[in-house]
Amino acid sequence: MFTKDLTKRYDGRAVVDGVSFEIPKGKVLSLIGPNGAGKSTVMGMISRLVAGDAGLVDFDGREIRKWKSRELSRRLAILTQTNNVQMKLTVRELVSFGRFPYSGSRLTAEDEAIVDRSIAYMELEDMQEQFIDELSGGQRQRAYIAMVIAQDTEYILLDEPTNNLDIYHATNMMRIVRRLCDELGKTVVLVLHEINYAAFYSDYICAFVNGRIAKFGTVREVMTKENLSQIYSVDFEIMEIDGKPLSIYY
Amino acid sequence: MNGAAPKNRTAGMKKLFWLCLAAAAAVVLYMTVNVRFDNPKLASYALHLRSVKVIVMLLAAAAIGAASIVFQSIINNTIVTPCLLGMNALYTLVHTAVAFFLGTGSILLRSGNAAFAMDLLIMSVTATFLYGFIFKKTKYNVLYVLLIGTVLSSFFSSIQSTLVRVMDPNEYETLLVTLVASFSNVNEEIILFAALLMAAIAFVLRRDLGVLDVITLGREQAINLGVDYDRVIRRLLLGVVLYISVATALVGPISFLGLIIANLSRQLFRTYRHTRLIAGSVLIGMVLLVAGQLIVEQVYTYAIPISVFITVGGGVYFLYLLLMQRKRG
Amino acid sequence: MRKYRSTLLLALLLLAVSALSLFVGVIALSPSELLRGGEQAEILLISRLPRLLAILCTGAGMSVAGLIMQQLCRNKFVSPTTGATISSAQFGILLALVYMPQSTIWSRAVFSAVCAVLGTWVFVCFVQHIPFRDPVMVPLVGIMFGNVIGGITNYIAYRYEMTQALSSWLTGSFSTVLRGRYEIVWLAVPLVVLAFFFANHFNIVGMGRDFSKNLGVNYNLILFLGLTIAAMITAGIVVIVGSVSYIGLIVPNLVAMFKGDKIRGTLADTALFGALFVLICDLLGRIVIKPYELPIELIIGVVGSALFVGMLIHRLNHGQKAVRFRKYRRQTGGERL
Repeated sequence: MFTKDLTKRYDGRAVVDGVSFEIPKGKVLSLIGPNGAGKSTVMGMISRLVAGDAGLVDFDGREIRKWKSRELSRRLAILTQTNNVQMKLTVRELVSFGRFPYSGSRLTAEDEAIVDRSIAYMELEDMQEQFIDELSGGQRQRAYIAMVIAQDTEYILLDEPTNNLDIYHATNMMRIVRRLCDELGKTVVLVLHEINYAAFYSDYICAFVNGRIAKFGTVREVMTKENLSQIYSVDFEIMEIDGKPLSIYY
Repeated sequence: MNGAAPKNRTAGMKKLFWLCLAAAAAVVLYMTVNVRFDNPKLASYALHLRSVKVIVMLLAAAAIGAASIVFQSIINNTIVTPCLLGMNALYTLVHTAVAFFLGTGSILLRSGNAAFAMDLLIMSVTATFLYGFIFKKTKYNVLYVLLIGTVLSSFFSSIQSTLVRVMDPNEYETLLVTLVASFSNVNEEIILFAALLMAAIAFVLRRDLGVLDVITLGREQAINLGVDYDRVIRRLLLGVVLYISVATALVGPISFLGLIIANLSRQLFRTYRHTRLIAGSVLIGMVLLVAGQLIVEQVYTYAIPISVFITVGGGVYFLYLLLMQRKRG
Repeated sequence: MRKYRSTLLLALLLLAVSALSLFVGVIALSPSELLRGGEQAEILLISRLPRLLAILCTGAGMSVAGLIMQQLCRNKFVSPTTGATISSAQFGILLALVYMPQSTIWSRAVFSAVCAVLGTWVFVCFVQHIPFRDPVMVPLVGIMFGNVIGGITNYIAYRYEMTQALSSWLTGSFSTVLRGRYEIVWLAVPLVVLAFFFANHFNIVGMGRDFSKNLGVNYNLILFLGLTIAAMITAGIVVIVGSVSYIGLIVPNLVAMFKGDKIRGTLADTALFGALFVLICDLLGRIVIKPYELPIELIIGVVGSALFVGMLIHRLNHGQKAVRFRKYRRQTGGERL
């Protein structure tokens, strides 16, 4: 999956401007950058939620908007930040929706088994009959991840999954992301604000500034003092912890 | 999503069963109360008259009940009704315009068939054309479509009230009767046609109706799960408009009823499953309409039209819903 | 001085069109005849001048009422029409007609003002406490609310056989404005002036409860004051002229497109532009099917619908507002998670 010259304009101003990159298969890729750098918009375009103005998103040899939506939903999952459901929906029912692309509203025994496994994977067995609007933010996020797991796609796109979570739940979320990649072999793309989560838990980083790619590479390539200072216009120090480069800024 | 909550499911089936029973009871009561069975000729006349009315009410309830639930789910808000789409205003305008330009004696107002055909034709053509156009113009933003819909409805009513101002008071009196919801101006041909039309629309939209459950998760989730969101929303909204057109052409402006029955159904079933929600809403609508009409006819002897009960009841219920939302927020 | 250029320009334009409108009508008036007094001067004093003043008060008053409501509710789509104010005012008039058939126009105005104030308060109270994910929901709920009140009004009217009588209050028209029967609309003038004094307060309250508390402004008091002013202006106009929708919705938005949202800077322009807008619509209504005239409600209904739809689509396609709406929704959604 790759993008070529992806461009998006709002009101004549390009918020994403000629972005081309390839998503490394079976790895975790983090999109970082300052506010308004266009990372969420890029995410929207590679997940077909947002229509681009120019350029293309190639998914398995075909432009992403040319895919049948149903077919694509078996291969690529996107989780955005806005997930407020008005209906009374239990955790299990939510996770079951992950099987919709395969079986519609009538689940087979196999679907039920997959739903069971997804719930177990996210350790949600105890609360599977609870309504999701009664859960805490962290639990709800896990329920949505379980749904995405049930969707059983090769690609998982997460738009700021740690947003609104405290340190404990955010760190847990990042561990889950790592496991999705390592244990289940998924390709994960994240939009992240917290650079050190990106550095510690992903394989590749793509940094955006003003709608363009400023740096793309492995964590070690991107996480240098010079690069980060340039991207964020703030002084950085790089430290080595657990064999991974982590940044300090103040 | 079968085994999700089996307890909930059987409870739901039970509630549906009781609703069916209630609807049947209401129909039987309506048909038999105060019928002089000792006089076969009178009885058969009364039964015929009432059976036509009952069927009209059932049809109207079905159209409004289904359309309201679908509409609320598309908008993702439970305190709206399709009366925002402006079909009531258009209906009133069409009738006023006919009375104004052709006189209340015109065949278009006096003959049930002609009036129905005219209403349905004008409403569905206008609605399909206008809303299709607006959809394109707003790039499928449902809320903006709706806002423009309300603009249209006040546009229609400003023309209508201008006509009323310059109208002869006697003509106006006659016109007023056709502007109030009633179940008696309808005959068998219309019923058959309306029922067939509704069935055809439901058939064409069967796929789109199937993804309603997913639509409630919001636009992004729905797309993620493989729903062609914009297309589905557009088709469903057009379906809603057509259903409301049929209901309004049948009985006049009572789509406010939808607010009551859709929310009662949601409260009763507490589920996201639309097959059940729609069935519930339709059945509740049937019970309310038939029972309400029974009371209007037998207790108030037609002094107060049923639409009044619906508006006043709907108004109180609307305030209650707002209060509930406020508490939840 | 540059700051006031648009205001000055609007004022001059308004003056010119006002003068012109005095001379449009079934009976031709000429300035030279007027000076000699007699019948022509009578017409001017009894009918033309009151009409002009009523138009100016209506335009300015409704626009300012809309501006205040939009500021206080922090929503661009709120107005006397979409905030249940007009329908409540009509409800009040009907109550007066039914329960006090002998009532003077003043007591009707009181009834209508009380109902308008109550209706607006209730609506805003609800709206303030319900978390809406999208700003467009607010006017939709307001319209539903108005429908409910309108439905009850219609029922009472139907019951007492007053539907057609009521419809003269349901549609705005200036043709019935005559000396001695319209002076209530002047109420709009002191109220608009009052609004001008509190303009900054409204601005602050519009920024939110915590924001105003921080600046030492009594949130509830100013909110209620503002809404009361808006509702009373509306009621005074509905009693005399009838309902004129859209002005309160469109005019403030159009002015804000050019002058921004700071109420102090836009209030005068909004009032002037509103008056000009209604005046031009009225002129159109009088010219199109001369010697008859179209009621102002129809003209404004047509012109207003077109303008408003155009505005919406423009905003959706080009305006930054469309983008901003998204962000706003996202933020509130995030907070709720």
